[in-house]
Amino acid sequence: MKKQEIQKKNLSKPRYHMADNISGWGFIGVAVAVFVIFTLYPVISAVITSFQEYKPFGSEFVGFENYITALGNDLFWKSIKNTLVYTVVVIPLSLILSFSIAIMIVPFTKSVQSVFKGIYYLPGIASGVAISVVWLWLYDASPNGIFNRVLALFGATSQNWLSSSKTAMLSLIIMALLSSHGANIIIYIAALHGIDNTYYEAAEMDGAKFFQKIRYIVLPMCRPTTLFLLVTGVIGSFQVFMNAYMMTGGGPDNNTTMIGLLIFNNAFTYGKYGLACAQAILLAIVIAALTTLQFKLMGEDIEY
Amino acid sequence: MATGLYSQHLHNRSIFYIRNSLIAVFLIAFAAVSLFPIVYMFAWSFGPAIESASTSYNIFPGRWSLDSYKAFISFSNYSLKWIWNSIIVATFTVLGNVIFAGMAGYAFSKIKFRGRSFLFFVILLSMMIPYQVTQVPLYILIVKNFHMTNTYPALILPGMCTAYNIFMAKQFFQGIPTALIESAKIEGCSQLMIFNKIILPLSKTILSVMAINTFLNSWNTFFWPFLVTSKEEMYTIQVGLKTFKFANGSLLSPMMAGACISVIPMFVLFFSLQKYFLEGVTVGAVKG
Amino acid sequence: MKVKKVLASVLSVAMISSLVACGNAATETQTAGSEPQQAETKTEEAKAEETAAASDVTDTITIMVPPITGDYVDLLGGWISEFNKEYPNITIDVISTSWDDHTEKLTTMALAGEAPDIAEVSYAAIGSYVENGTAIDISKYIDPERLSDYDQNALDYMTLEGTLYGLPLYITIQALGGNREMLEAAGADVTKIQTSGWTYDQFLDVIKNGTTSDRFGFVFANAGATTQDFINIFGVSAGITSSFTQDLKYSYTSDNMLSLLEAVETMTSSGYMPNYAVEAGQRLVMLQTGQTMLTGKAMPLFENNIKRNIEKMQAKDPEAVEGTIEMEYVFLPVPTMDNATASVFGTVDGMIALRNNNTTDEHLQNVLKFMDFLCSGERAATVDNAVYLTGVCESARKAQESFELDQSDENAAAVAYAISKVVAPPTGISAEQSANAKTMMDETIVPKFQALLAGETTAKDVYDAICTEAYKLFGEENCASGWIK
Repeated sequence: MKKQEIQKKNLSKPRYHMADNISGWGFIGVAVAVFVIFTLYPVISAVITSFQEYKPFGSEFVGFENYITALGNDLFWKSIKNTLVYTVVVIPLSLILSFSIAIMIVPFTKSVQSVFKGIYYLPGIASGVAISVVWLWLYDASPNGIFNRVLALFGATSQNWLSSSKTAMLSLIIMALLSSHGANIIIYIAALHGIDNTYYEAAEMDGAKFFQKIRYIVLPMCRPTTLFLLVTGVIGSFQVFMNAYMMTGGGPDNNTTMIGLLIFNNAFTYGKYGLACAQAILLAIVIAALTTLQFKLMGEDIEY
Repeated sequence: MATGLYSQHLHNRSIFYIRNSLIAVFLIAFAAVSLFPIVYMFAWSFGPAIESASTSYNIFPGRWSLDSYKAFISFSNYSLKWIWNSIIVATFTVLGNVIFAGMAGYAFSKIKFRGRSFLFFVILLSMMIPYQVTQVPLYILIVKNFHMTNTYPALILPGMCTAYNIFMAKQFFQGIPTALIESAKIEGCSQLMIFNKIILPLSKTILSVMAINTFLNSWNTFFWPFLVTSKEEMYTIQVGLKTFKFANGSLLSPMMAGACISVIPMFVLFFSLQKYFLEGVTVGAVKG
Repeated sequence: MKVKKVLASVLSVAMISSLVACGNAATETQTAGSEPQQAETKTEEAKAEETAAASDVTDTITIMVPPITGDYVDLLGGWISEFNKEYPNITIDVISTSWDDHTEKLTTMALAGEAPDIAEVSYAAIGSYVENGTAIDISKYIDPERLSDYDQNALDYMTLEGTLYGLPLYITIQALGGNREMLEAAGADVTKIQTSGWTYDQFLDVIKNGTTSDRFGFVFANAGATTQDFINIFGVSAGITSSFTQDLKYSYTSDNMLSLLEAVETMTSSGYMPNYAVEAGQRLVMLQTGQTMLTGKAMPLFENNIKRNIEKMQAKDPEAVEGTIEMEYVFLPVPTMDNATASVFGTVDGMIALRNNNTTDEHLQNVLKFMDFLCSGERAATVDNAVYLTGVCESARKAQESFELDQSDENAAAVAYAISKVVAPPTGISAEQSANAKTMMDETIVPKFQALLAGETTAKDVYDAICTEAYKLFGEENCASGWIK
């Protein structure tokens, strides 16, 4: 590459260079191929299906009928609301928790850090099937249930954990907060290690204290990480359905019915695959709107 | 290293020790809470190898034995093959992601090529469609068009380069100063050389984080392997574990034993990559 | 540090060797996987050429089953070789699944047009396969003489809108189970109840008398999705035997439902039942340890579980449930409410035929041969024996005669009485109605019912909510009103 070209590039705004185009597409070639075949094709197929009454041998085009049915369903809106409540509580709390724990782990020596990371990573490792069985025991509503016995130690009355409207959602939230932070902590620690010591040294010369360093150095430097965890966390949380499926069946009174559970049921138990696709597209629109908002709030230009 | 975040209290070491002890106490206390389900699982893996509708409310089984481990291994001729299958699938999924998602993430953050914004937008958007509705067309593709039932490619290919990892790599590479890359270009480096000589050494941390998280996800995936395998010898460990549940009860302890055995490879990987987690970006390299 | 290095090198060796191994294995399996595919296409071509000579043509049938009994898949292997003696040209491929995820895998395959030829389903799930056009009318492909082997009542379960979609494999009856000694002490004439039923008032009296400071009169597993069992089992108690009445109106909007809900309200607030949700597994433990006198849902086969557990306790085996007491298990029908006809909740599981890209008339005849083979005779008897019930076809019952069940005479009589009181759903229900009924159950009735069990709403409010939703879904004119018989 010639020097003049680079200088030109530095001056001009978004101009594309032949070399960059070639190497850019070279770098993403395999990724894009895999993406198009195994992700984009199924997504497009789902979009088409959302306009059909789907049958494996002879689907019928029905226009927006599935969308109208979905939007006119009270439970659809209730499940969106439930999912939103769940997300708004779980995601920020879990990010704050992961960030704080990551911050607390870094002052130790390497070997101590390893031990803590290992410990905090463990809950994520253990298999989903076995762990959900354990959680059902923990939340057992009889006075002999583990959590109820803990409450009894403090003199509190037994709770009907997963079966009461008051505590069902709370139970799912506690479960999510206690079992899903391992990966986030590891990612945050990686980000923290990426911050060069010279920044802190410079800040210390200016007399900055611990919380000022967090405020003015750590938080801004971790912003891309936070944005990533926030966006993917929200996407994941909006699609969650295993917890409601395994733990509560959506009840009581549909207080834990998540949109993911509705989509699952429509596709796999009621034989309404077209409707399930329409609900999924509507869900994707909600998530897309929230994602755009997050990019805006986190101050990153949406050049995408 | 991030040590500079904390004051070293060089003038008064006792404050330093007291502070670290307090943090340690808090970390241990919180860890104890979040580890509780795992401890429970571990303890009951030494319980009796019988089919039970439920177990008692004790945290520990009445009698400890290795019966459930034996039962897990002898439950099917393929119990250990399941773990082996999972290792193969997870390993290739990790390699695919680290290489291809890593490269793509770099391109999306540091190379200005035509179509980059649009493409990244589409990739992000695709994450937002729940898998429940995309698995049917994906199944048609893999089984009907590619005839891949009961093969490793069927288990590996769909997850070989995920949008999640591309996004993660992109976010991290953004933190590497562009000036570093520009100066390398001036010295006549091609993008591939830049990636190999400059970016890779700087991103051991992030790539190992990606590796461990991808391995974990692949390891814990249940439904897709369940869909595309019909022979016991091709099951992954998660699919296998589900066969311990019957209509009116489960082999609970053997299931827990299987879950505990399946944690071991994860742990080995985790601690072998620890070194890279802690290395971080070497001081001075990024100053540019 | 050294340990870590060793670990790392071990791992990298493992990774490399797996790389090599996998490369080979993957290609091998791939080629192996594609061979039968080619063979299949060949057969198809062959079939087209010589449609007349059917018996010489080879055919491959796929069947998908969950572990119906613990060792069902192993047994199936034996039966297949037996079948092959008579039909050596038919190859059977078995896809075994797990209970929890059987439906999801089956639906995904059906939606992809790649359904197995035969699948095990509960009768209630047939509607969704009829809706998406993959279910097949089997009456055209089965020998009418063979069909007469099956009980009409059981065939009715496999029928929608007058079309038969599969063969019944076994019927399960779900009712109540209890501790004889405690029940008799509480004033119940157990033997009489087992053979001629009881009224709801008698039932309330008994569970009241059976409640003491350290034991409940009645415990029903109702946590999470098991709530539906409660509705099904006590639904028949109030005279609701199916989601639809004989004239095909939706039945959960009837007065019967209201009185069922009110009965549940009384039961839960009485103190004779726990006021918290009970996990499915716990009910049996509570019965075994004497923490409850009566439990539900209960099946006849619990007799076996309880006997084995008591034997263990007596042998001082540490695997026995802690605190096990000696007891005699009795299987009981549900009580009958005023104005309702005595009946018991039954559900039929069977095999259905599904459409895929290989489906031809000839293929279907082979499919039905194998399906009939599995659902009759000794094969069905084995399943029936495992669940302690009598078969739903003549040949299975005959095969059962030679088998000695470890069941008390009283319980055997109770089972016979219960089976005689099972009412099959009306046969005119459409696939759409069936699918909508499932939606109503999962999205409205179960969640509302859970709120009622938690004491958070009233019977009247639940009833009103059910009516509102049902009127929207089915139209008010298609919903039952007043009392149904």
